[in-house]
Amino acid sequence: MPEKTGSAYEVFSPWAEADPVPWRGINPRLTDLAGKKIGLLRNSKRAAEPSLKIVADRLKKRYPTISFSWFANIKPNETVIAQGMKDEFEAWLKGVDAVIASYGD
Amino acid sequence: MYDAVSVEERNIPTVSLVNTGFANDAESAARGMAMPGLRYVPAKVPCEASIMEDIEAGIDGAMDAIIVALLKPLTAEEKSPKAREPEKPARIVFKGSLEEVNRFFYQRGWTDGLPVIPPTESAVADMLTGTDLAPDHLLGKLQSRGGKATIEKIAINAVMAGCLPTYLPVLIAGTIDLLESEQGFMGYTTFGFSTGSWSPFWIINGPIRHEINVNSGSGAFSPGNIANASIGRAMGLIIKNIGGVRKGVEDMGVMGNPMKYTMVVAENEEESPWEPLHVEYGYKKEDSTITVSFPQSYFQHWPYSADADGILRAVVDNMPRGMRYTLVFTPPHAGNMFREGYDKDKIKKYIVEHKLVPAARLKAVANTGMNVRTRESLNNLPANDTEMVPLIKDYRFIRIIVGGGPGAFIAHISGGGATPGKKQTQKIELPKNWAKLVARYKSVVPTYAKY
Repeated sequence: MPEKTGSAYEVFSPWAEADPVPWRGINPRLTDLAGKKIGLLRNSKRAAEPSLKIVADRLKKRYPTISFSWFANIKPNETVIAQGMKDEFEAWLKGVDAVIASYGD
Repeated sequence: MYDAVSVEERNIPTVSLVNTGFANDAESAARGMAMPGLRYVPAKVPCEASIMEDIEAGIDGAMDAIIVALLKPLTAEEKSPKAREPEKPARIVFKGSLEEVNRFFYQRGWTDGLPVIPPTESAVADMLTGTDLAPDHLLGKLQSRGGKATIEKIAINAVMAGCLPTYLPVLIAGTIDLLESEQGFMGYTTFGFSTGSWSPFWIINGPIRHEINVNSGSGAFSPGNIANASIGRAMGLIIKNIGGVRKGVEDMGVMGNPMKYTMVVAENEEESPWEPLHVEYGYKKEDSTITVSFPQSYFQHWPYSADADGILRAVVDNMPRGMRYTLVFTPPHAGNMFREGYDKDKIKKYIVEHKLVPAARLKAVANTGMNVRTRESLNNLPANDTEMVPLIKDYRFIRIIVGGGPGAFIAHISGGGATPGKKQTQKIELPKNWAKLVARYKSVVPTYAKY
């Protein structure tokens, strides 16, 4: 029986098991930002929106033909999908080439 | 980061901006969502405390990295990550002396920093006498990691915390309370992790209070009672070791919170003139229950006088801005207010009616904070900045219990918690051998020497 033997304790692990979820890869990157439409995804934290405004400003200066489209998830700690905004979110994504997300944290 | 994963799942490349202090959290979130290669740029600024000048400087410093994250071709690992090794933790994870076991557990991040009782097979078997459920019975998967909350894992963490077997039914109910907590902003999935350093606060009602000696009297919130101390401690270890919520990685509490060591109290139902909390929430008086909320702060103050007017005016003057409130009145104060015709609802409504602030104060919070949620929720404020408006929107945001010793202090526990009507209380189910267990452990109480 695994137990205290002499001065030694045999102990169980408190760390729970978790079902392994297969890793997933990410999507290929863009080859150029010129002429692309970039989605700007922000949450409700204070710095999220102003951060992305500055990002957009700086990108526009480097890539004058770039354009932007905004999407806001203003409900703290709930994903866009969990809020039932899936259709709106997916429609928005169809119109962008890449997304820059800012969490304001 | 979860929304960024949703974007990638829809075949659009992303990069996320996170504060440098959140890099570990971002990585953990990406891995938790099974997308370890998710690209993010740790920027020196954008955090909630940043001002525009600093945000601008921080973004300027991060711009090259943002562009690289959008354009740099994927590595083979980013494109197709290697298969994750399944976790196969050994049942016996270590063998050593008391000191060695403690050092081993601490260095793996499995403790709260205090020494633990070694969870040996016999200690865990003793703990499991506190339930009729099988050790491998799965209550659910606890966020953020989705760790399997089996009865045995709960028992192991209970042993570590110093619990007696009679506390196991409380811990099982507490874990169910977390698993069934309100989804979204007002529940455990926010308050367990948030920058707000919210701490679980557990209120125990019903006959079990006396059977396991949960203190509701003098020094109810002070150390010295094994039930109050170890039940909260065990729930903290369960959140850490089953939920996988670790300080500075998943728990991003800015200030932290000493209540996370333990924050457990019983309601003094016998000396309360009002119905106990669990009866308010729809349970029978003879049921034993545990109720969770997630406060940030605990403080006390003195009333202006011992009558209802003096007590309640002092409460109103000390009411902080928050989302949910628990007020603890001593038995004498509760009795005084009761004799003047105050029940719990009348007290709550008095506070909401009298805790007024100028509209400008709430507008300032909304407009200067850049916090869109707050801004949008305060649209209905009056145009006149000097008009007084209630600080607390709904009297049901206030909870009242009776506790503490004979005396005149009032305790406020304020912060977060469930939306009224949503899950916050869980009935405690007892094993068949309960009476025998209680008889065995009820006498485990401190007996102080006289000097």
